[in-house]
Amino acid sequence: MSGARQGLIGALVPPMLVLLAVGLGAELAKGLGLLPITVPAPSQVAAMLPTSFDDLMYHGARTVRSALTGYAVAASLALALASVALAIRALERPIVSMAVLVDCIPIIAIAPIFVIWIGQGPHLHVTVAAIAAFFPLLVGAVQGFRAIDRNMEELFHVIAASRWQRLCKLAVPSALPYLFAALKIAAPLALLGTLIAEWMGTDRGLGAMIVLSLFSFDVARTWLTILTVCGLSALAYGLIALIESRVVTWTGPADGGHGGR
Amino acid sequence: MTEIILRNVAKRFLLPDREVSALEGIELTLPTGSFTALIGPSGCGKSTLLRLVADVLRPSEGEIRIGANAPSVARRKHEIGFVFQEASLLPWRNVLGNVCLPIEVARVPATRDPKALVHMVGLAGFEEARPAQLSGGMQQRVAIARALALDPKVLLMDEPFGALDEITRQRMNLELLRIWKSTGTTAVLVTHSISEAVFMADTVLVLSANPGRIAHRIEVDMPRPRRLEMMRQLAFNALENEVRAALFDDSGAVA
Repeated sequence: MSGARQGLIGALVPPMLVLLAVGLGAELAKGLGLLPITVPAPSQVAAMLPTSFDDLMYHGARTVRSALTGYAVAASLALALASVALAIRALERPIVSMAVLVDCIPIIAIAPIFVIWIGQGPHLHVTVAAIAAFFPLLVGAVQGFRAIDRNMEELFHVIAASRWQRLCKLAVPSALPYLFAALKIAAPLALLGTLIAEWMGTDRGLGAMIVLSLFSFDVARTWLTILTVCGLSALAYGLIALIESRVVTWTGPADGGHGGR
Repeated sequence: MTEIILRNVAKRFLLPDREVSALEGIELTLPTGSFTALIGPSGCGKSTLLRLVADVLRPSEGEIRIGANAPSVARRKHEIGFVFQEASLLPWRNVLGNVCLPIEVARVPATRDPKALVHMVGLAGFEEARPAQLSGGMQQRVAIARALALDPKVLLMDEPFGALDEITRQRMNLELLRIWKSTGTTAVLVTHSISEAVFMADTVLVLSANPGRIAHRIEVDMPRPRRLEMMRQLAFNALENEVRAALFDDSGAVA
């Protein structure tokens, strides 16, 4: 397993180096007085961490919970709708068109309307997170289901597989590479949706923490919160990529496949 | 008794602007336990014929019987084994998992031990291997084992070894004949190869194109079990020439 560990280190080193370079550059620029007052030195942000850590955990827990719930709702809904599109091909276009329409609505504009409809609080955050994450998930699922090999479909027909068996044993596994690509894109979007919903007014959540820090003109604390959100996004992406590498073990750069060709 | 009978079968495909006739007036009786080879130029409808028997396609005209049943009934009773030109294995399942697929889907107690099937096609020790780790020939063996998993009454093969090299192909043919003999299925093989058709079959059916018809029927009265040496015999060559002549009968001027 040392190979896997080396792979992990190899994957982590380049982004770490970039982060370090950016941090050092910002520190230097701040020291030379090149940065405006609204951008603190990385060291100032880091200095905020001990005093703000409890707050970050308190607000972060709520945000993560809302984003995760919205993400799960969006993924379930996307999978269900894509299954319907798979079963009834005529519905594929209407479903995708509907998803495009939903995706075209600017979340920042629709969020206040949802406040009126369903009120403030966790419901709102989950709903907006789900809407934000929905589109790539649906497109991924639909494309994944479309990528089923024609011979495989004939095979499942010849062995008299039921629709349910086709879905579980053929369609979903075939779509997994596409689904994971979509899941990776959608995770940061769910977090962003939660943040936007929290700006509409709440007393708990990283979105609220950013607003509160801004109002008290605590620049360092604002940036600390923003960086926390970035870290969470990257973490979510990385986690899903890790799960993907464990689950989708059959696709690789070399497709293997047909030896003689 | 599992004869395959086709009575006056025709298949036409509707294109946006016209109707294309793939097969016309097919009259066939393939006896129980026989081995039939279908050969013909590209687009003569030999794959279509196979798919009609497998109930992947429905005939536009005529009637097909597998034993006493229509193909759709035979298919649901898991009496049909099908081998595609490409192995078409599920890449996320290992060899044993792929062979077990029809058994899982049918939810019947396995009549054949999947491990014994893997053994029969010469892949003992590869049960846990993923398809991507196997050569083309090994993948096709898995596909054959999978097709036999439910002990089908008819085994339909659509150019199963078309993508393999000549040496692997001959070895696979010998094994296929051994397996066919031991299972007693009624086998139909679509092929492009004249020598393969003669070597494998009791009857070689030569199809002509536009529309697809059975142009010639050549009985192969070579003894079984067939051995590779037979391919050097005069009788074998004579049969090959007969098939070749039949093949180029209607397209000879072009060739």
